[in-house]
Amino acid sequence: MTKGEPLPAKPRVTARAKKKGDRDRTLFIVSFLSPAVLLYAVFVLWPLFQAFAFSMYRWRGVSAHRKFVGMENFSKLAHDQAFAKAVTNNLELLIVGGFVVLVVSVALAHAMQGTGKMAKALRSVILLPQMVSLVVVATLWMFIFNPNFGLLTSGMKAVGLGKFVHTWLAEPQTALPSVGIAFAWYAIGFYALLFSTAIRSLPEEVGEAAALDGATGFRRFWRVTWPMLWSVKRIAVVHLTITVMNVFALVFLMTSGGPDRATEVLLTYLYENAFVNSQFGYATAIAIANFALVMVLSLIILAFFRRDPQEPRRVRA
Amino acid sequence: MKKPAAKKLTSLLGRSASAGVSLFFLVIIVVPILWVFVSSIKSGYEITSFPWALPKTPQWVNFNHAWSEAGIGHAFLNSLVVTLATLAILLPVGAMSAYILARYPFRGSSLIFGTFLGGMMFPNFLVIVPLFFLLRTLHILDTKVGLTVVYVAYSLSFTVFVLTGFFQTLPGELSEAAMIDGAGHSTTFWKVMLPLAKPGLIVVGIFNAIGLWNEYSLALVLVPSEANRTLPLGIANLTMTQQYQSDWGALFAGLVIVMLPVVVVYSIFREKINQTMLAGAVKG
Repeated sequence: MTKGEPLPAKPRVTARAKKKGDRDRTLFIVSFLSPAVLLYAVFVLWPLFQAFAFSMYRWRGVSAHRKFVGMENFSKLAHDQAFAKAVTNNLELLIVGGFVVLVVSVALAHAMQGTGKMAKALRSVILLPQMVSLVVVATLWMFIFNPNFGLLTSGMKAVGLGKFVHTWLAEPQTALPSVGIAFAWYAIGFYALLFSTAIRSLPEEVGEAAALDGATGFRRFWRVTWPMLWSVKRIAVVHLTITVMNVFALVFLMTSGGPDRATEVLLTYLYENAFVNSQFGYATAIAIANFALVMVLSLIILAFFRRDPQEPRRVRA
Repeated sequence: MKKPAAKKLTSLLGRSASAGVSLFFLVIIVVPILWVFVSSIKSGYEITSFPWALPKTPQWVNFNHAWSEAGIGHAFLNSLVVTLATLAILLPVGAMSAYILARYPFRGSSLIFGTFLGGMMFPNFLVIVPLFFLLRTLHILDTKVGLTVVYVAYSLSFTVFVLTGFFQTLPGELSEAAMIDGAGHSTTFWKVMLPLAKPGLIVVGIFNAIGLWNEYSLALVLVPSEANRTLPLGIANLTMTQQYQSDWGALFAGLVIVMLPVVVVYSIFREKINQTMLAGAVKG
């Protein structure tokens, strides 16, 4: 441990002192690490481990009536219409909503690069929707979509579009898109910030070289900037997948999964099964299914974005 | 040569286009939030009849209604207690373990760090059922103590991750000098290294505080009774209960009460919060 030669005299004392030092070190490590490790093990890792076990029981919350049923919960899930609806809604939000979020956040990131007042102002508020509580976001958008006195409705009536007004959150066709818009409003700032930071950290020579070659505006972005963002794209898509597949509070507060399960998502269905119907084993099976689904989706995304698209070109050059 | 002029034109177009995009999104982000603030001082009649208009006279009484009659004051105190208690446990516990993971490598330390890191992207609602029964078994379900302990545990991943990075950047000579002067490991930490880590602790503390203040899903399940309800639950309840549906003003005042502290804190520490948020996402 210590540098240099050990003193030739009194080797025994040195060894003993070293041993004491080692013991002190070990004691220090254990005492400083154990509070965090214990808390994490008991309240995070243990429930995670238990979740896998719970999913194989039929259990209504009273310990005496816990019954091991193996894979029964999962085979029930496979035939559960509401579960299928929830998965479909989650995937729809992910594919349509995720696409919109990514496109808009890239556009925003681009707009945020400017040095003007507008770009500066945008940078300073971009994360605001994500900083306010989801309860505020949900209530706010419920008021925007309110058919009687909502901002959207009265705005549409004011410009003569009154006949296109819907009871947005109460009709099966419009409910999911409406919730999706609220979600996008909440989520976009984070991805815009992510892309904006990535664009700013690109080497300047690339931009200059592109400008010399006459690449400007959208062309320059599409051909030069966009391919260089490959690692950020991967992070953004995986992050977005995890977020959308686990959306809960916003949907629960705005529609509770209704009308007629039109906005049901996996976690609202989990909540209903666990804390409304007391089907705790079945609810946990939904959690495990969600976890597995997100894993598979993430692996697909990672495989898709695995390679640096710049790499082969560099090799050839 | 026509090219330079054409180039100038496209760049001008590009710049005004991006200013247009900026303005458009600026409006979309800011107007709804401003609208909540304005609505909080309007009467219920004004909110429903003239949603876009300013109030004739500011109805500050909405805040009284929300605070006392609608029980938001009580929920506010609950949120304050839980948030502060969580930080009071989380910061020292997190800093101690981060210090070890950053500066006392041992067999298995990277495994422990990796396990903490793994929790960062893990949606905690997936384990809500086992967590609910764990708290019930420990007799801390529906208590502020239970919610606090859960909040500490689920904030550890991120806190340990950021603080470990912070302790790694501190110069090692300082702790070595303290040790040579005869200070033990623990004295060196409390007297020398922890004070140096103060900027990191502040950022992590603020970032966690915002998340905890806003937290809804865990609290919904883990503190069902009205006595222990936190602010987001109180507001959600206000939105749903029929009896207050006539008093929209109080509801919007409630929304302002929950979001004003966050908006103020965010506008002060914006850059730091943005950086911290991105760091967490990139590594997680």
